Amino acid sequence: MDFDWIRIPYALLTLFIVFNYGLLLNALIAKIAARVGRRHGIPIWQNYIDLIKNYGLRSSITHGAMYYLGPVFRLSGGVGLLLFVPTIHGSLMFANLSFAGDLILALYFVFFGTLGMALGAGESGHPHAAIGISRGLSQVTAAELPFALAVFSVALQYQTLSVSEIVAAQQGGMLNWTLFTNPFAVAAAMLSFLGSMMRPPFDVVIAPQEIPIGPPTEYHSSYLALMQTNRAIFPIAKVVVYMNLFFGGATSWPLFCVKVFLIYMVSVLVGVVFPRFRVEQSVRWFLVWALPLGVVAILLV
Amino acid sequence: MVDAILLIAIPLGTAFLLGLLPGHWRGAAYALTLAALAVGSAISAAWLLEFAAGADPREIHTAGAPPPFAIALRIALAESAGLLLVSLSALFAALYLRDTLLKQGRRAMAVLLIFAMALSGLILTRDLFNLFVFLELTVIATGGLVLLSSDPRALGAGFKYLIAAQLISILLLTGLIFIYHAGATLNIDELAAISLERLPGGTLAFFLVFIAVVAELKLFPANGWALDIYESAHPAFSALVSAAAGTAALFALDKLLAGGTAWLPVATAIGCVSFIGANLFALAQDNDRRLLGYSSVAQLGLLVVVVGQRDLLGEAYLFVAGGILLAHALAKAGLFWLSGLIEGRDLTAWAALRRRPLLLFAFASFIALLIGLPPFPGFYAKWELAHRLAAGGHIALLALILFGALLEAGYLLRWFGHAVKGTPPEQGPARAPQKMVAVHAALAGGWAAGYLWGELSGLGNLLHALPLLFALAFLPLDWLPARVKNSLAIAGMLGWFLHAYPGYDPLQLIFAAVILPGGALILLASYQNGGRRIGFYPSAMLMFAGLIMLIEANDSFGFFAAWESLTIGSYFLILRGRRSQAHALSYIVFSLGGAFLILAGFTLAAQGQTQLPLSALGDAPTALAPWVFLLLAVGFMTKTAAIGLHIWLPGAHAEAETDVSPMVSGILLKAGLYGLFVLLTQMGSQQLHGIDLTHAMLWIGALSALLGNLMAIFQEDAKRLLAYSSIGQMGYALFGLALMNHLGWLMALMFVINHFIYKSMLFLSVGGIAKRTGTRDMYRMGGLITLMPLSFIAVLIGIIAISGVPPLSGFGGRWIFYNAIMEGPHRLPLVILFLAGPIAFLYLFRLIHTIFLGQLKDEHRRVREAPFWIILPQMIQVALLLGFALVPGLALRHVDAYIGGLVPGGGLDWEGLTITSAFGYWSPVTIMLIVGVIFASLFAWLLLVNRRAQRVGQFNIVFAAERPYRPETTHFAWNFFAPYRKALGFFTQPLATRFWAALTDLLHAGAGLLRRHYSGDGQTYVIHLLAFVVGVYLLRMGL
Amino acid sequence: MTEIALATGFLLILIGLYGALTNRNLLRMIVAFSVANTGVNLVLVGVGYLRGRAAPILDATLPAAEAPARIIDPLPQALVLTAIVIGVGTTALMLAYAYRLYLTRGTLDISRLRELKW
Repeated sequence: MDFDWIRIPYALLTLFIVFNYGLLLNALIAKIAARVGRRHGIPIWQNYIDLIKNYGLRSSITHGAMYYLGPVFRLSGGVGLLLFVPTIHGSLMFANLSFAGDLILALYFVFFGTLGMALGAGESGHPHAAIGISRGLSQVTAAELPFALAVFSVALQYQTLSVSEIVAAQQGGMLNWTLFTNPFAVAAAMLSFLGSMMRPPFDVVIAPQEIPIGPPTEYHSSYLALMQTNRAIFPIAKVVVYMNLFFGGATSWPLFCVKVFLIYMVSVLVGVVFPRFRVEQSVRWFLVWALPLGVVAILLV
Repeated sequence: MVDAILLIAIPLGTAFLLGLLPGHWRGAAYALTLAALAVGSAISAAWLLEFAAGADPREIHTAGAPPPFAIALRIALAESAGLLLVSLSALFAALYLRDTLLKQGRRAMAVLLIFAMALSGLILTRDLFNLFVFLELTVIATGGLVLLSSDPRALGAGFKYLIAAQLISILLLTGLIFIYHAGATLNIDELAAISLERLPGGTLAFFLVFIAVVAELKLFPANGWALDIYESAHPAFSALVSAAAGTAALFALDKLLAGGTAWLPVATAIGCVSFIGANLFALAQDNDRRLLGYSSVAQLGLLVVVVGQRDLLGEAYLFVAGGILLAHALAKAGLFWLSGLIEGRDLTAWAALRRRPLLLFAFASFIALLIGLPPFPGFYAKWELAHRLAAGGHIALLALILFGALLEAGYLLRWFGHAVKGTPPEQGPARAPQKMVAVHAALAGGWAAGYLWGELSGLGNLLHALPLLFALAFLPLDWLPARVKNSLAIAGMLGWFLHAYPGYDPLQLIFAAVILPGGALILLASYQNGGRRIGFYPSAMLMFAGLIMLIEANDSFGFFAAWESLTIGSYFLILRGRRSQAHALSYIVFSLGGAFLILAGFTLAAQGQTQLPLSALGDAPTALAPWVFLLLAVGFMTKTAAIGLHIWLPGAHAEAETDVSPMVSGILLKAGLYGLFVLLTQMGSQQLHGIDLTHAMLWIGALSALLGNLMAIFQEDAKRLLAYSSIGQMGYALFGLALMNHLGWLMALMFVINHFIYKSMLFLSVGGIAKRTGTRDMYRMGGLITLMPLSFIAVLIGIIAISGVPPLSGFGGRWIFYNAIMEGPHRLPLVILFLAGPIAFLYLFRLIHTIFLGQLKDEHRRVREAPFWIILPQMIQVALLLGFALVPGLALRHVDAYIGGLVPGGGLDWEGLTITSAFGYWSPVTIMLIVGVIFASLFAWLLLVNRRAQRVGQFNIVFAAERPYRPETTHFAWNFFAPYRKALGFFTQPLATRFWAALTDLLHAGAGLLRRHYSGDGQTYVIHLLAFVVGVYLLRMGL
Repeated sequence: MTEIALATGFLLILIGLYGALTNRNLLRMIVAFSVANTGVNLVLVGVGYLRGRAAPILDATLPAAEAPARIIDPLPQALVLTAIVIGVGTTALMLAYAYRLYLTRGTLDISRLRELKW
């Protein structure tokens, strides 16, 4: 097999950039949310501090093999998702490892981390973790549905499942973006996006007041650090998928940063305004408001 | 050749002779009786052989003069067979009745002889008045023999019978004399030649005789007195009434109708009403003998239908009528004789048979004979009958007969379920050698008849089919230890596969690989069972034999016979589960219903051709083709448990034994898919009233996937959860097939392989866990990961594979699915399927979480890993899953090319490591490598920064800094997805279950209510009979 | 003449059936059936009778050659004889049953023999 080994350092470079951008972005958004609540918020480098602290903690306990592996699964899911999708359009350097599979791979790989995390949290034996997982899984089944329909609609629209080809088809001006050529799909997908970002009104999964923080309740020290790393990478990876499918992708890193920030902000804007849904409410909400948009999208393509 | 008139003379003479013997020479009298009956049997047998060799019918002129001056008798092939049946049943009845006869003395023996003689006379005679005489003799002898019963109620029954017989004799005599007046002869052949219908008064006269003979057949609904006889007479005599007297009366009817072809439709109608009505009423019975009485009435009704369709059946008439009659007579005699060995009269009392495996086998064989399952004669006969009816355009009649047959199967198999699953009494049936002889003779006769009919059918004798013989060979070997039999079974299955696989096309090969090596793999788990495991291997091998014969079948007959075999085998297997009685019944009723639809579909397509090549299915007439498609598709979807027809599956799969669940779920369900593959290959898509039937299948598949998955997430029982999941998975496969494009079919095949591996693996794991923990309720478990790590690994791999998460093989299925739907024109059902996908994730997580994670229960602290033999196949399956995930092309590329020739659409490109479609690409090895490397690096990193992690106790969790009271109760497991139920629970309303329950309740309640017209009053019965006579006449004249 | 015989015969049959259906006493029912049987026999003879013909006995006054044209068909009469014999047999059997029933059940009422039903 003739494999371009240089792809590996390139992919790691992407990872590095996204990781740092993610840490900063998360802090920035936390700060924005705090300001909306008339609080001062955290310093912009707070996430670095937390991460270093947690990696440095020496006392650590484990509840068993799956507990130990949970964060590994989680982070593998985030990293894998990022690397299976090309980050910068037209750049061979940042096409990452997308030769391994197409859009469907990315879609399904999202579940890899979810599953591992759920298993690890489950083995911790804490009921709050289990409750959190039950809520999270329930909600995600409904939230993912409009997104899946939108993705299928986009794939039908461009007659391909390859992410790079979908991005390529959107080049040549803003009006070529899926946002304008297939608005229903984008609308459905963006509603679904709200559900997957763990922000209000869809954050009952980690509901800090009821079930401390849900699935990660029992996690601490380096386990938590691994998961924090993932929290920097995974949302960005997810937003990258959205960006590629619906918003014309990015041809350079600055454009990348702007688009990711703006897409991310959608969930923040909604999140700071609305209170929290219960699980059955959010399930119904997705089925009533987002699903029809998705159906229209696949019927109109 | 010995003169056939001796068949009348010998018993008559012997009966007189008995009268001359001193009263206390009972032994001698009994010997004489037996000898007379034995000689009669020998003579009949000799005649039968002669006619079978091709001799011409013989006319016998009594008194040396031809008719009309003397009575003529005739013996031919059918007559000699009937005579043999009568004499043999009388002989065995005499044997069976030994104690009673010796107690009652020579008079009883004489009456028995007269009874046999009268029946022989009915069969032989060609003279109407002679017929009357023999009928009256039968009546008088019956009146006598009823008194042999020890049941005091028999007296009343006998009297009611005599009253009815009086009325019948009045009708008969009146009819006779007017026939004579009109036709100037009483010889049946001469009457047939002069067509009575055209003579003045001829019609009414003929009608009176006809209706009298019909009444003598004891057909529904004017037969209350007969049911009382069946119920209260000595079982040996009831056997005679059902088997021998029924046969004789049928011969009488057949002869009579030789001269009244205009009455054939009337006979058909009466028979049909009788068949359905009696079977319906039998549903509400719990007395075994009365149930047998109803069943006799029904079978005779079916035979009257056959007589009524005589012209349509043509040269197959004897084959069909003979097959059904023989099956009825042998089974009914055998069952009545068995009932004499059982103490109680309730159906549940038959559990006593469990103490005697051989008798239980006999019982099973008799039931199968009655229902007409292969390889018994009724099966061949009904196959032929159905084909002739369909070819003749009698679709409604065919449908009615199949409906009646389904009712019959329902109550017979429910009874069988009582026998197999009931609690047997301390004492088995009393050992009475002479009674055993009779039962075993009927048993041997049944199997011999099956062989004979197979030979005569010209369709290929099922008892020559090697796989079936292999399965049957386990019956005599059942005394061997289970492990030896298991080795034999595995060797046989692998051997057959090695022998046969070069001849398979790629599609067959995939299915055959799942069935044979796959079955052998699951059988490894059966090494776990010690002892003898009586009955397991014949059933399992019957199922596997049916499955492999199904794959290998080239024509409709072979296909259907295989289908029935696998259905029966799996029914016996499922019935073995501890609490599976009701579920096995619903399984078999649904399966037989499906099988009947398939039968109807084949007959419609075949247009009389009893051995339709499967490749000719597509040549069905254009007007019929959609119906053929519909019938076959619904039949196959019954097996794949498509939504609406699924209600049998959860119970049947969940309650089956540990190693049976994976077989019936992982392998058996594929039979339906194979059928659909064949159907769609041959017939393509069909339009019915403008509806594209494959489009409808698409919806059914999608709904099955959604509802199966949804119902699975609310189960507390692990095996039920897996069972519901199968409904969903089969929905996906159905959907793929219905897409009717290349990738859709490939996806369906991928599901065939994947579902086999992971579902059988999960059933084995869960079975092993249930074995260790003693419960299947998941919320009673928890925290078992450290105690059962290997089971955990199997479940983990299994759920990753099912949910379609990369890098395991389930993802391949999903990837092909997305590519397939890119080509499909139908988008709405997709929405449902998309909704179903993530829901699978919910129940899978629940499965692994509530069993293995969370808090360990105190009572499970000493639980060990599942037994070695249950773990071993799981580990092999884990390896298979990983292998299949890496190189799916190994299994799929050939079949991919093969499918290309069957359906439109582009296939996949398997070159190199990347699999490419028209839309996307996927490289399993690369994905595995990348995921592996990322995972390993992160794992190494965590080990590095976290090397001093120490394991802590179970309850060392953050609980507001307190230890919870009884911490194991904090296992969050019961009703795990409560919010989901609030949101979407309305989808899981058991509508289908309620529908089918309402239907069966309606049938049962209807039967319970309507059968009250059998008020028990002899006079009411006479009124019934009169009303029946008048009613039939008016209907006939009105038509 | 024939018509009268036939009419009487049918009337007897109907009377017999009426009796058998309206009387609950076993013995009365048996008697009623005997009446009906007699009626049947009468019908048999009536149908077989031919006006103006001689009895079917071949002797000097009735040579065999002329017989077919001059005698009454003997068959119905033979039938009647047989039917009577059989009727007697059946009646005897029914009486025996009635006797046994009376011995064991102490009643002759048919409506009380209803323990077998449905």
